[in-house]
Amino acid sequence: MKSTRFFSPLWLLTAALLLLVTACTPESRSSNGAPAAGTNDDGSATEKVTIDFWTFWGSETRRPIIEKIIEDFNQSQDRIVVKHTYLPFGDIWTKNLASIAAGNPADVIINDYADVNLRASKNQNTNLSEYLSQDDIEKQFYPELWKNVLYNDEAYALPFNTDTRLLYYNKEAFREAGLDPEQPPQTWEQLEEYAKKLDKKTGSQYDRVGFYPLWGDFGVDSWLINGDGGNGYFNENDETSINTPGKVSTLEWLKSWQDRLGRQTVDAMKADFGSGVSDPFISGKVAMYIQTGTYNTQIEEFGQDLDIGVAPIPEREEGSGHWSSGGGFVVEIPKGAKHPDEAWEFMKYLTGVDAQKYWALKNFDNVANIEAAEDPEANENAVYKASVENLANTKVFQVPLSASGYKDLINPHMDAVFLGKETPEQALQGAEKDVQALMSKSK
Amino acid sequence: MKTNAETLTQKKKRKKLSPLARREELQGYLFILPWLVGLFGITLFPMLFSLYGSFTNYDVTSRMDFIGLRNYTRMFASDPLFWKSLYNTLYYVALMVPLTTIGSVLLALMLNERIAGMRVFRTIYYLPAVLSGVGVYFLWIQLLNPSSGLINTLLGWVGIPGPAWLSDPMWTKPAIIMMKLWGVGGGMLLYLASLQGVPSQLYESAKLDGASAFRRFWHITLPMISPVIFFDVVTSFIGGFQIFQEGYVMTDSGNGGPMGSLLFYNLYMWNQAFQLFDMGYAMAMAWVLFVIVLLLTLINLRMSRRWVYYEGGED
Repeated sequence: MKSTRFFSPLWLLTAALLLLVTACTPESRSSNGAPAAGTNDDGSATEKVTIDFWTFWGSETRRPIIEKIIEDFNQSQDRIVVKHTYLPFGDIWTKNLASIAAGNPADVIINDYADVNLRASKNQNTNLSEYLSQDDIEKQFYPELWKNVLYNDEAYALPFNTDTRLLYYNKEAFREAGLDPEQPPQTWEQLEEYAKKLDKKTGSQYDRVGFYPLWGDFGVDSWLINGDGGNGYFNENDETSINTPGKVSTLEWLKSWQDRLGRQTVDAMKADFGSGVSDPFISGKVAMYIQTGTYNTQIEEFGQDLDIGVAPIPEREEGSGHWSSGGGFVVEIPKGAKHPDEAWEFMKYLTGVDAQKYWALKNFDNVANIEAAEDPEANENAVYKASVENLANTKVFQVPLSASGYKDLINPHMDAVFLGKETPEQALQGAEKDVQALMSKSK
Repeated sequence: MKTNAETLTQKKKRKKLSPLARREELQGYLFILPWLVGLFGITLFPMLFSLYGSFTNYDVTSRMDFIGLRNYTRMFASDPLFWKSLYNTLYYVALMVPLTTIGSVLLALMLNERIAGMRVFRTIYYLPAVLSGVGVYFLWIQLLNPSSGLINTLLGWVGIPGPAWLSDPMWTKPAIIMMKLWGVGGGMLLYLASLQGVPSQLYESAKLDGASAFRRFWHITLPMISPVIFFDVVTSFIGGFQIFQEGYVMTDSGNGGPMGSLLFYNLYMWNQAFQLFDMGYAMAMAWVLFVIVLLLTLINLRMSRRWVYYEGGED
């Protein structure tokens, strides 16, 4: 019996609990080493504040870039030390939510542009008005992006990066089809005409499809913006503008592409699309393809021999506008962060010219800071330059709070059109009705 | 009165415990304490919390006001996606449970034959059960590829033009059920074990009586393995209602697939909770699912009296 004292259950319990506690503690998976600022050890130095910065940038490309920016910031002053915590994309939002609820969130986090207002309404991020009244930096950002960080006309985040969609085209295929490689299609009509010329078939099998609007990174939502004069599903007064004549005819037009190629061809080819060398545009299966500006880095990596050009998205008819769609990420301070003042200092740095310029140069990603975006050095890259110019035509929409989750209602209707189960008009009518029902419930 | 007396004697008994016995009792409790902490802290408390939360507009970070039955009325009266996700899940469960059960019983019967190399076959058929998770889904996305996937290629050999499995809403759920059928190895193993436990004298005497192979299966094998079938059916029912990953991984960004045909109940609940932060509503959904599964399990239990045979009689 005496030996039980040594292996007392209490000891076991403590061990078990310890295991539990350590297993649940969110541990930073990375931190770039503390900066060698040399101001500690002797008590004379000012006390440093360490702030925690959460991102999902853990890839070989992006991680060194963001960590270099952090290091630069840490070395630029000796009061704040930023610690980088990488969380996988699939985890970061739920972890953020849980940590806010637990009162122990990050000090700064990179978050999705789309739901800044939703998070603000739920007390998940910090109102920045006070800081902005001291440092008026609103003007340094694209106004289209600034609109998206507002909730009740007050900012709850700063825009960090954005993206825009462009038409990539294969110049070699253009020459082969007898088209001028310096004259990309400008209108939908030209787009169709070129696409037909670029199609290449053996029997009934397509070796190359000139263009199919819904492949690539420009979905039905984006086309509806492009074809409806740059208007999204909601207008400025947070009312639906789903079932509009412009959207109906856009949807009809999209459907006609599928009718021409055949649903089976479209489905079958799409299922074969991969990334890297098996990317449909890089492998030459598709001659024109809509993608973001950063897609160019993939072309550079896997398709060095490709002779490509980029152009704005074709417009519906001359003068209707080459509307494109965009998204991006913002920086915000989770509600309840311990060091909001220091977080703000870092956010200013992140969205300032130097850091933004570095980000743009290394990634060819569109940044939110206008001066950095238009910096001549990065603009030596033709595709990047085109993407920056394209921002003028790019729409980034804030979803009305009452319509949160609307996509689950609209998408099935859009799918139904392409499955031949609803006409474009029925689909948009149905979608509008469903979304309005959702919005009236939430009021 | 009698019960009172009983408790009294029990109390007396407790007092009579020797210090050693009491110590042992305490140690016993300490030993099960980790489990108790788990039960109360990680299971029971969250459950009760979510029950209460289901009557609130809880959104984790800003509010938790009591709103009565509003989450429930919204769910039943005015949320088309709730019904769609419930339908998708029921459709899946209704096909998956019988098919995988029949599939694993048949497989077990075949693998119970005594032929050379059986161990190899058993290993091969069991292997898929070992693989799990997202890797399997990606493998199946390849297999289900309408033009170059193995499944449509095989169908093509016998002259059937295979469907666009994961892009045609009519075929998305059957595709996932097919994937589940491929992984019946786990159930098969249970059946195989129980098949080998069926006493051979039963078959021998049936044979002497001239019973055909089918009658032997129907009157001996099936009743003898019915407890395992029952166990398998109940657990697959419960597991079936938990389907989530398949809908999340095998569709673009977890949007529920073509025409929302893979918007399973748990996927929709997850979206409500973590995308829209409507945690109160998600909690209410969780409780509705809990009640559905509970009811179905009770029905299963009741029905089992009619067809599950326990050796040695009931009780």
